[in-house]
Amino acid sequence: MIYEGDFLKNVIDKLIEEGFTVYAPVKVGDYHVFKRVSKSEEADFNYINTKLSPKEIILPENEILIKYGEWIEEVPISNEKTAVVGIRACDARALKLMDRVFLEDIVDPYYKARRDNLLLIGYACDKAGDYCFCQSFGINPRGSCDVDIFVTKLDGKSFVDLVSEKGKEIAQKFELKEPVDEDVKAKEKDLDFVKSVNTEKLINRMKEAFESEYWKEVARNCISCGTCTYLCPTCYCFDIYDEGEHKGVRLRAWDSCQFPLHTLESSSHNPRPEKWQRLRNRFYDKFYAMVIRKGEIYCVGCGRCIESCPVGIDIAEVITGVK
Amino acid sequence: MIGKIREACRQVEVDAIIGYRKKEGEPREILHVFKPDEIDKITFSPLSSNNPARLLMEILPTMNKVAVIAKGCDVRAIRELVKENKIDRNKIYIIGVSCDGVVDYRKFRRAVQFRLNEIESVELDGEDLIVKANGKEQRFKFADVMSEVCKHCPNPTPKDYDVLIGEPKEGKEDFSDIEEIEKMSAEERWNYWMDIFSKCIRCHACRQVCPVCYCEECLVDPVNLAISPMTPAEEKASYPRVLGKTVNSSDNLIYHLVRVLHHAGRCARCGECERACPMELPLTKLERKLWKVVQEEFGYSPDEDIPFLSKLDMG
Repeated sequence: MIYEGDFLKNVIDKLIEEGFTVYAPVKVGDYHVFKRVSKSEEADFNYINTKLSPKEIILPENEILIKYGEWIEEVPISNEKTAVVGIRACDARALKLMDRVFLEDIVDPYYKARRDNLLLIGYACDKAGDYCFCQSFGINPRGSCDVDIFVTKLDGKSFVDLVSEKGKEIAQKFELKEPVDEDVKAKEKDLDFVKSVNTEKLINRMKEAFESEYWKEVARNCISCGTCTYLCPTCYCFDIYDEGEHKGVRLRAWDSCQFPLHTLESSSHNPRPEKWQRLRNRFYDKFYAMVIRKGEIYCVGCGRCIESCPVGIDIAEVITGVK
Repeated sequence: MIGKIREACRQVEVDAIIGYRKKEGEPREILHVFKPDEIDKITFSPLSSNNPARLLMEILPTMNKVAVIAKGCDVRAIRELVKENKIDRNKIYIIGVSCDGVVDYRKFRRAVQFRLNEIESVELDGEDLIVKANGKEQRFKFADVMSEVCKHCPNPTPKDYDVLIGEPKEGKEDFSDIEEIEKMSAEERWNYWMDIFSKCIRCHACRQVCPVCYCEECLVDPVNLAISPMTPAEEKASYPRVLGKTVNSSDNLIYHLVRVLHHAGRCARCGECERACPMELPLTKLERKLWKVVQEEFGYSPDEDIPFLSKLDMG
């Protein structure tokens, strides 16, 4: 459908009016991050992708689960209607992958409540960033089935794809008209990707390379920080711990497989004491273990880990280099 | 310059050379451990920004002699590690490079008009940086894309080297930017820093990348400190957790203050923390404020051969 005007901006105001908590890309210094906005003027849609992925909205970096003291007080699950406006196709796919972790088998009630109340409004990419490679995983940056509404900005108007029932409901509040051939043509655009990952027979390649010296070479420069995992839209590891001896809170906090403490067992044994083992784990989790468990590669090609790695480790290069 | 660096590498007998290689598909230079037969793969440009000292400390125990290509700040870090007995100077051959300052890759990416994979070369021409791509060139003021910390570098030419590439240059200790912050009222300063710390995601990249942050145990995540096979369960449950994983400006403030205070009189001012920070926080300002205090209040000079903390003990 076609909307005469800036749908992304106008939908923010509409959603706020409807009582939604709205997250949108906001320019902070030199980069964009998803932030809660109170009016559409705060949002800025002039970006390739945000610095941090929007996973924080559904899996907060810190979350209080219970408070304890003389009594245990459960923190009520939030049922706030929330919307993310301007999510890219890669990040939307990442949320789908995240769902399979938190909503299959053991259901995480905190995640589920947030997810059930989450409305996603996607935003088509106009150009591929220097580190983007979503096309390698079959993600279409110009169209997504992982959102409720998908918006492509055209000259002075917006092409609005109504993907889900939830999306259609919201769209009813807007004056939309059928697109003409010209609009459909304008919407189509091939993006100029420079990065890619060779996924051919990847599972076999990964299986054979597990004991290879290759991982030590790749890890040579690695500093074992959590940048790659914290910026990653599909990394979901967390830790739960109590803060306060007699009175305090039980917290859930992001954790990273790159930290030695992540795998330290109570017996003091650590199955991944060396940094190369931890680094290898990151690649095997995304490109092997999750393929076996869920049938999906847990990388969406957003390129954040490449862009921000302090020592220049490049996930696309590393995986393509697995022989 | 690269010819001279490679020539210097050929002159020595070492097990490995720590230098830079251009990353595939972009002009970024990354650290690499080269074998002596790979000298032709070594590259160097104003984008060779990372400090090799941490990598040197890591590989040195398994080697007899290692050559390292090091700029002024890199040698400051190496000297500090030598002073602290972390590395043996006799096992190191320093190919010193007289440095013009390095490029802040984020500023560079925001200023450059080409896509990264198109860029063929990035060279310095006097005050300008010239980027060549597709038969075109873009020229911008080097100062506009230079790493912030380089603008205040006290010695761009290494203080210690076995061979020097390039002409010696004078640097000047300059705390003008720190003085600007000092002029703020206490409340303004508090707000300034709390705003910065609120953005920290506690990925610990600043700690991990720092050549002088080499402690095996850190108050943030003590791995072995409290837990051994003999540790009883109650003790495990209450192992020292000075600082949890909570991420908010006050916990982040403690993390950064403790981190920085441990660098008193030790920080090389190479800017790796700031470069590594995914959230682009101005972390070197904290380190340089500390240097200002160490120099002004304690009269310690970075050129001294005794570590600052030992000197404090001596009274």
